[in-house]
Amino acid sequence: MAEDMASHYQVMEELGSGSFGTVYKAIDKTTGEIVAVKHIDLESSEDDIQEIQQEISVLATCASAFVTQYKASFLKGHKLWIVMEYLGGGSCLDLLKPGVFNEAHVAIVCQQLLQGLDYLHSEGKIHRDVKAANVLLSNTGKVKLADFGVAAQLVNIKSQRNTFVGTPFWMAPEVIQQSGYDFKADIWSLGITAIEMINGEPPHASTHPMKVLFLIPKNPAPRLEGNDYSATFKDFIAQCLTKDPDHRPSAKELLRHKFIRNAGKTEALQELIHRKQDWDGGRGMNKDVKYYAESLNTITKLPTEEKDDDEDWVFDTVKAPSMWVPKGTDWSTLDEEWEEQDPSQLMEDMHITQPPAPPKHQANSTVRRAKDAERSPSVRRANTKRRSSGVKQPLGLDLSYGNTPSTVRQFRRVSDRVPANNENAQIKPPPGFDENTSPKPLSTDTISKEGQLGRRAYSRAVGLSCQEVLATTGDGEKREAISRLAEAWSDLEMVDPEGLYHIVRIMNERLQADPRLSTLIPTSAQPDSPQRPRLVLAQNNPHLKSHHRRQSSVVEPQPSSPLANLPGQNASGMEHTKQLTDVLYTRWAEGLRNRWGI
Amino acid sequence: MAFFFNRGRSRQPADVARSTKELLLRVQETPNLPKAEEDLAKQLSQMKVIVQGTQEVNTSPDQVHALVQATLQEDLLYDLSRTIHLLPFEARKDTQTIFSHILRFRPSNYAPDKDPPVISYIVHHRPEILVELCRGYSESQSAMPCGVILREALKFDVVAAVLLYDQSKEGEPAVRLSDLKPNLPQKGDGVFWSFFDWIDKSSFEVSADAFTTFREILTRHKNLVTAYLATNYDLFFGQFNDVLVQSDSYVTKRQSIKLLGEILLDRANYNVMMAYVESGDNLKLCMKLLRDDRKMVQYEGFHVFKVFVANPNKSVAVQRILINNRDRLLRFLPKFLEDRTDDDQFTDEKSFLVRQIELLPKEPVERSRPARETQSGVNTAVA
Repeated sequence: MAEDMASHYQVMEELGSGSFGTVYKAIDKTTGEIVAVKHIDLESSEDDIQEIQQEISVLATCASAFVTQYKASFLKGHKLWIVMEYLGGGSCLDLLKPGVFNEAHVAIVCQQLLQGLDYLHSEGKIHRDVKAANVLLSNTGKVKLADFGVAAQLVNIKSQRNTFVGTPFWMAPEVIQQSGYDFKADIWSLGITAIEMINGEPPHASTHPMKVLFLIPKNPAPRLEGNDYSATFKDFIAQCLTKDPDHRPSAKELLRHKFIRNAGKTEALQELIHRKQDWDGGRGMNKDVKYYAESLNTITKLPTEEKDDDEDWVFDTVKAPSMWVPKGTDWSTLDEEWEEQDPSQLMEDMHITQPPAPPKHQANSTVRRAKDAERSPSVRRANTKRRSSGVKQPLGLDLSYGNTPSTVRQFRRVSDRVPANNENAQIKPPPGFDENTSPKPLSTDTISKEGQLGRRAYSRAVGLSCQEVLATTGDGEKREAISRLAEAWSDLEMVDPEGLYHIVRIMNERLQADPRLSTLIPTSAQPDSPQRPRLVLAQNNPHLKSHHRRQSSVVEPQPSSPLANLPGQNASGMEHTKQLTDVLYTRWAEGLRNRWGI
Repeated sequence: MAFFFNRGRSRQPADVARSTKELLLRVQETPNLPKAEEDLAKQLSQMKVIVQGTQEVNTSPDQVHALVQATLQEDLLYDLSRTIHLLPFEARKDTQTIFSHILRFRPSNYAPDKDPPVISYIVHHRPEILVELCRGYSESQSAMPCGVILREALKFDVVAAVLLYDQSKEGEPAVRLSDLKPNLPQKGDGVFWSFFDWIDKSSFEVSADAFTTFREILTRHKNLVTAYLATNYDLFFGQFNDVLVQSDSYVTKRQSIKLLGEILLDRANYNVMMAYVESGDNLKLCMKLLRDDRKMVQYEGFHVFKVFVANPNKSVAVQRILINNRDRLLRFLPKFLEDRTDDDQFTDEKSFLVRQIELLPKEPVERSRPARETQSGVNTAVA
């Protein structure tokens, strides 16, 4: 079924890479209509399938002339194809490349965007990532909101959100402060986008995005000043950029603003499109058009289930599972047969141990990420830091995206991406990297035990604590101080994890030595488990995330089990038990206790 | 239900409900009547405004209350649930909104710990609504709105119970909450079992939504599901392994392996897990996943496979397979997904499994309590 769907489209050249995937121009063979097809490689996303579904469901429930129209989605192998309306004019960010917009153009775009936002907001949707890059134009100048990668669907039209998503420069103060926000956040972002269009970049564009997160709530809202701008435009910006969301007008109200009411027709935007085409032409831009080439790994599997037996596991060949009676002799025979094979076969057998690494998709994902990384040294730095652990770090991680026009998604997903950069970061140390660190951290191979513990202490305790405190601190100045501290810890972890370990260790000793402070640290904080160390599996999603996993394991050594002589303990290998066996064993023992009333 | 009817009714919501009902019946009788569809869409959009207000106008609790009363009186939810696929685009979304609000509706003086009145009403008197909503997965137009409504309703365990235990055929009355027979094994043709089909046979959008709801049913209300899986172990895992884990759809396959891991490793499902990891066939299935040519499938498969190996009390069948493949596994595992260098826990678990496999005896060892060897169900183990 899905294969049929894909064959309905003739895929042509690449249009660009958005969040999650590559977008191609394509022709719907049945209607002849030109469409945009987004290819998302699901193999490269750890747990994002449900989030992608969320994006699709937001898109699929939109039907407005001011929002890019969703058409269909289907799977082809492990790629998800999302078919959207094709908009030939490009994004406003593209159109800004030849130069800034004039006020008349900005007014038209804003008027169209406000209608799009009015529609979304009345539907209980918040876009959360309004910026020039996410505003697309059709060839005729129609303006549409695109990229619903972080959009939210509110169950209740009046409810609020807390999630920290968006792109720092465009984020409303209330989003940054995480004190609850609603659809008014999009209005702020629209105001920033208007400034972006008239000036070529958002306010604070030259500032480090981490800093921006403090500046936006702390500083007075940006304003347009001087005689270059009309009074109505200045007022429109001031209205959009009202810091208090309660006093910020809604999309509906802004549609009545004089600046918007006087906006011209969308056809006038064709000037911008032509300007861009001329500009591209002058630079010979059309030469590097990339055409879609079906990579091997998207072609769905050939029927290779019946592989050569050498490679596969040794199972019985009897195809009636319920009738299957295990016989020791059968197995040893099979095993012997296999052992008799040519030793070179054995060697070849090794190659199957490497999971097939699809070259195309790897290249794809790294390119996309590398692009992000190249734009600013800070990005690389944040990424390199985290290579020894996938644990989220205070703010810095999110900011690895902030210096670019890419979007901060929810905190937890960021950690997925970071490791993927490792390779990249290892190969060429970033240019801006050396001034505050030595090259040493790049080779973690020869790290001492203390160093490992230091890393662990950082990833498990220090980094998270900073983040936690930061999250509960509202005051801008305090936040900045905490984040400086967090960054310092992070630097230390990167440069000298051993030193970090010693600091934490000595700190801990001192705390415990002090009679009053020692009460801060309960020594045995595990009242409910007299059992041996065990893996406490997260209830809802035991293997959701690597850091999730790591956080869930308890490591302190504890006295051995009082149930050591019960059955189950005699299974081979129990003397080496750790983690998993312990979970199973603990549960098994609990089961026994319940049943036998021990 | 007395409180629904003993208040002075505000005219307007009752009128809206009544005309909606009439139009719904007309649309059901003769689909593709543009005029009726249009009028119906208007009524529904009015109802939506009553239940959720607009950005500018707040809702009036009295109006909402009156509308809820009228809806129940006209049995409107049932007709809506059956008709969603016939409605125009905006009307389907409005219906979803109306439903979600009405399901959650609590009168101002209502005890907050009790299930909302409409939920109680539905599970006791009109469970057909829930079944019809599930059947919305048969049509692509209704699948997503029905899914959203169902997941809203599934916040309440009574709803999950009805969906798990209902075995009514189309046109038959669905099971009332008071008539549930949890100890009776399922025949496998009830509405819950249709989810396997909807997930397996539908287009991506429908399949993915059905899976989300399916997962919600199986993970949200643990006690209910533990008992259900114990009673219907063979039927459930038979279908789960055959239809979902071996699905041709990448998403279904990957999501269901992950869900399998979640179900098995849920503390509440201890007995289910033990039964699952006894079976050599299940182990084989898992080992095949490790060799899938897509790394995320391998990865999800690993998290089920590890349970088999970590089980200190392996069945003879499981031991035999592991012993026979010991050398292969010991060559395979160290290189398995070795680019996952950032994932400490994964690496730890992998080396733990390697140690466990190294330590396997030469021949399978009978366990001290072989009683469970021959049983595939878990009931006896619980007793």
